[in-house]
Amino acid sequence: MKFRNLILKNIFRNKSRSILAVIGIAIGVAAVVGLGLITDDLTQSTESALTAGAADFSVINSTNSPSGSGGGGGFGNDQLINQAAVGQIQQVKGVSSAVGELRTSTNLGNSTSSNSSSSSGFGANFRSMTNIIGIDSSDLSMDDIAITNGTAFSNANQVIIGQDAAQRLNKTVGSTITISNKTFTVSGIYETGNFMDDRGIVMSLPALQNLTGNTGQVSLILVKASNGTDPTALASTIQQNYANDLSTSTSLSGNNRMNNGLQVISSGAWAVSLLAILIGGIIVIVTMMKAVSERTREIGVLRAIGWTQRRILGMIIGEALVLSLIAIVVGLLLAVGIVELISLTHLLRGINPSFSLLLILKGIGVALFLGIIGGIYPAYRASRLSPTEALRYE
Amino acid sequence: MNNENIIEIKDLKKTYENGVIKALDGINLEIKKGESISIIGPSGSGKSTLLNMIGALDKADEGHITVAGMDLMQKEDLSKFRLNEIGFVFQLHNLIPNLTVLENVQTPLIETDIPDKKMEERALEILKSVNLTDKINQKPTKLSGGERQRVAIARALVNHPSIILADEPTGALDSKTSDIILELLLDIHKKENVTLIMVTHEHNVAARAHRSIYVLDGKIKEEKINSAS
Repeated sequence: MKFRNLILKNIFRNKSRSILAVIGIAIGVAAVVGLGLITDDLTQSTESALTAGAADFSVINSTNSPSGSGGGGGFGNDQLINQAAVGQIQQVKGVSSAVGELRTSTNLGNSTSSNSSSSSGFGANFRSMTNIIGIDSSDLSMDDIAITNGTAFSNANQVIIGQDAAQRLNKTVGSTITISNKTFTVSGIYETGNFMDDRGIVMSLPALQNLTGNTGQVSLILVKASNGTDPTALASTIQQNYANDLSTSTSLSGNNRMNNGLQVISSGAWAVSLLAILIGGIIVIVTMMKAVSERTREIGVLRAIGWTQRRILGMIIGEALVLSLIAIVVGLLLAVGIVELISLTHLLRGINPSFSLLLILKGIGVALFLGIIGGIYPAYRASRLSPTEALRYE
Repeated sequence: MNNENIIEIKDLKKTYENGVIKALDGINLEIKKGESISIIGPSGSGKSTLLNMIGALDKADEGHITVAGMDLMQKEDLSKFRLNEIGFVFQLHNLIPNLTVLENVQTPLIETDIPDKKMEERALEILKSVNLTDKINQKPTKLSGGERQRVAIARALVNHPSIILADEPTGALDSKTSDIILELLLDIHKKENVTLIMVTHEHNVAARAHRSIYVLDGKIKEEKINSAS
């Protein structure tokens, strides 16, 4: 009989106890992997948004807070910029291109039919607000907008819709959508990697200016620096030149703020994971201690027939590791299942969790850590049992 | 050490609870290779403690004990010694319930380098000698008390030990089964020339050994050669 066969047989000796230990470890694995899936995607999405497109930075009205700029964010109540400034910025030395963009937000509600119309007006309920972006179709890449289905808008009656908005509003290419009493045809679906913008709608700049009555005005100017020009230095130059009117916001500064937010989310996720790991660890220790306690006499017999302390240690740790291996599978399935379920129910709109090798390795690491930590103390105690005392154990 | 002696014990002492309980109080004993010995005495007399000392399960406080050429007072880890030289048979068979008869008998061999196939062959051979060939795939819970004890004897023999230590081997059995088990142990002792040391409180069992040692209060009070053996 092989030693490993004995370990496997011992695992299934007390099924309820083994299941409990597996659940304990699996909870730790699921917490780390599940929360990791969400926070990783959130980080990726946000980083993508902040470093998106060809634009190196954005220029906004100096009376506005720079938050949310750099290619994303809502501007419903922000002060606008005269569109003439776009041409002026374009003339600044070191600027490769400057593109005006108008942003607003509106409540489109939820429509149920793919071909039905949705109507709305601006300034509605914030909870279901949709970003509306006005930008020339030739400049979409400046805002990192990539068409995934259909085509870009070719006239003022067409819009493209973000993939999350399309899903939420049940729209597809060819559907119509009514915004502020004007009906548009969806010519394409886009994605940006920015979960906020992926919930939005994009139309031509003049169309949105007409719709909102902001003719000749933009919310921000997306600026791309020429090759060899430092975007940060260029942003400072523009800031100085237009100190009274305009303000620049580099992705970096936005990044710093967003990173702080992400760190809070990430820390929260880790705190929950650590709690789950702690609980899992306690469950494993308790179940393994119980397993050792129940088998005290048996361990005494094994010592009496010549088993070394190391063999006893190996047996108990081996059992804990086998439980960990089972828990890895259970934990990963649990994590994927829960996250997929949350995704399907749109509780995490805009977030598309995807597995990474690192995350799986983290999950495996947690399981093995719990298995070893949970098994090592009971194993040590078992190996140190005096054979005579163990044999007397009732 | 006398070449004929497999066990030599000189002035062996063991106390428990900080010296309050004198389990062994100056034991002197010599046992020849291939001898059968019964250790008899009332509960708490020290007979099981003596057996544990010989089996290297416990360590004495004072004195000398040499078993199969090994000075048990000197070495710390005696697992290998137990594996190679000692076969234990307990009052309660102490088999592992989730393993089959065949697997239970193989458990001591896990600690050796013997290949799996050879391990199984050896276990089957021993089980044949204790007439349990038809029970090899049974779990201990499905066996009678006598059968379980025969499995325990097979487990004790599988490493071909030079000494079998049996602690009340018939204590939990009815008289008929006791006789069968006792006969089996004595038969193996004779055929394999294994030294057999039995702890018992039953005089009729003790009398079946070549020599009986009466232990009281941690001391050997009497030794006698049994004519019936």
